Amino acid sequence: MKQGSSIVIDPVTRIEGHSKITLQLNEEGRVEEARFHVTQFRGFEKLCEGRPFYEMPSLMARICGICPVSHLIASAKACDSLLAVRIPPTADKLRRIFGLAQVTQSHALSLFHLSSPDLLLGMDADPAKSNIFGVAEKNPELALDGIRLRQFGQRIIERLGGKRIHPAWVVPGGVSEPLTEANRDAILFALPDALAIAERTLEWFKSTMEKFREEISTFGNFPTLFMGIVKKDNGLTFYGGKIRIVDASGHVVADDLDPTHYDDYIGEKVEPWSYLKSSYYKPKGFPDGVYRVGPLARLNVADRCGTPRADQELAEFHELQRTAVLSSFHYHHARLIEILYCIERLEQLLNDPEILSKHVRAVARPNALEGVGAAEAPRGTLFHHYKIDEQGLIRWVNLIIATGQNNLAMNRSVLQVAKHFVHGNRLTPGMLNRVEAVIRCYDPCLSCSTHAFGEMPLRIQLLSPEGEVLDEVARA
Amino acid sequence: MPRVLVLIIAYGNPMRSDDGVAWRAADELERKFACSKIAAEVEILRCHQLAPELAEAVSQSEAVIFLDAASAGVAGQPGDLGCEEVPLPSGNTSFTHQFSPGAVLALSQQLFGASPRAYAVTLTGECFDHGDSLSPMVEAALPEWVARTEALVRQLLSSVRPA
Repeated sequence: MKQGSSIVIDPVTRIEGHSKITLQLNEEGRVEEARFHVTQFRGFEKLCEGRPFYEMPSLMARICGICPVSHLIASAKACDSLLAVRIPPTADKLRRIFGLAQVTQSHALSLFHLSSPDLLLGMDADPAKSNIFGVAEKNPELALDGIRLRQFGQRIIERLGGKRIHPAWVVPGGVSEPLTEANRDAILFALPDALAIAERTLEWFKSTMEKFREEISTFGNFPTLFMGIVKKDNGLTFYGGKIRIVDASGHVVADDLDPTHYDDYIGEKVEPWSYLKSSYYKPKGFPDGVYRVGPLARLNVADRCGTPRADQELAEFHELQRTAVLSSFHYHHARLIEILYCIERLEQLLNDPEILSKHVRAVARPNALEGVGAAEAPRGTLFHHYKIDEQGLIRWVNLIIATGQNNLAMNRSVLQVAKHFVHGNRLTPGMLNRVEAVIRCYDPCLSCSTHAFGEMPLRIQLLSPEGEVLDEVARA
Repeated sequence: MPRVLVLIIAYGNPMRSDDGVAWRAADELERKFACSKIAAEVEILRCHQLAPELAEAVSQSEAVIFLDAASAGVAGQPGDLGCEEVPLPSGNTSFTHQFSPGAVLALSQQLFGASPRAYAVTLTGECFDHGDSLSPMVEAALPEWVARTEALVRQLLSSVRPA
């Protein structure tokens, strides 16, 4: 839509939430600045104040309909800290199973339902066909695999938590119910099909990469830091461990960082044009301390996965570049390797002899007035930090969400893509889709990151040097 | 997998006041069907929103009823009842953040080769703010909505039940 002398795209589609992009042109008509705006109101931290701490996991799960389990786990871990208890070993394993199921279903949603249209039909495909129906028409098996894999993860969540969305099974001190033998066997029965889907989708994805050389070289392909939680042996984990940070060359710049001391090394900057805060690595300052989290970062910081097939794929992934793997296009690839890992790890955990133990919860009164819980959510590292009073009522909450930690990198990625693909004062559908597609690589969840009420549509604006709107694309 | 004769998909957010009316209706219908043979012929699913994963369940049903709250202004006045047959979309179907009953049917047809007869049965809401109770007009209309949905279920069963 032409409006005076600016361009606008609104909303960014096929992401979880809504946002807007502004592209600023220079005198030569080239893109000089790009901003990814999130204009939703952030409110969860405030509304929790005054609530009893033990309500927090259930309240926090309501932040998001896609990854409630991740919030539930991080919140419960923060509450474990308030209780100052060590949860029973079986509860620890069951929480891990819950988290792995969550990652599987969330990654499946991102890859199959949101990004596979770009990957299968191409970035220049007719926007009317660039959706799951277009995928189902061209490659029904791929569309069906997406549905089946998401169902696989959702059904595990339902079996453990009682429902697919907003389950409240993870509680301070452990989990509320043990795993039944019938549920264990049913999940194990479904594993081979899920593994076969992960394997063939990974092969299909790798076979398509050659078609996206230009996108690989321009989709967030720049040096940043990468951050993730790793196990003691520096292996991949979604549940707990130490924070590790590597630089663009792949060298470890910080290791064995305690997640509970996140404030020592993570800073947050508020920009006037977005409700989404931007996190940065404090020792390098703002904005040089830009870092990425999520699948790409996790595979860059991890030395190994710890499961046979995922380890083979990780070795191949690390061969993509001699340094850290830099292009954000490879988030898709990393996501698929993580799905493979999740399925293999689920099998290991479900076959653990202790997994059916009935001892799944430690009970205590609060023994500390401050607690931090950290875990790896599908989109990256997630921190929940609570302070309570002597009565156990929440007095202060801070949440650091993956999408906020990727905010600086997402903005730079949009700029890189726009500089490469957007020319002149009009946006073509292919340009628009690439600007959106680079955001989809990060799989941002704006509901999580702003803890918003309601929706904000995304639009992209192209601004002249004088700030006039040259073009604007808005999607209802 | 055994075929379901009538699948009821009740969707909406029960923590957004009238948006959760379909869940309330689902509870009522379940209670009504509990002691009859209909319980084995009807499946009721509750969800926050429609999603591609529902296509498989739809494809395994002889008939489908989508129960949902409608927005005032778009679908009449608060408390109004509506029932429309859902046609199989003929053109492009979009999927961004919301999935329509027609989109679920289309995906069921595309992936599983089945698009059962389907109805969208709505009750127009008044309040969609945070809350777990219904507005007075919607609460008052709920029994009639449930009764008409039950009648539709019985009518569909009589036409799809094997002879």
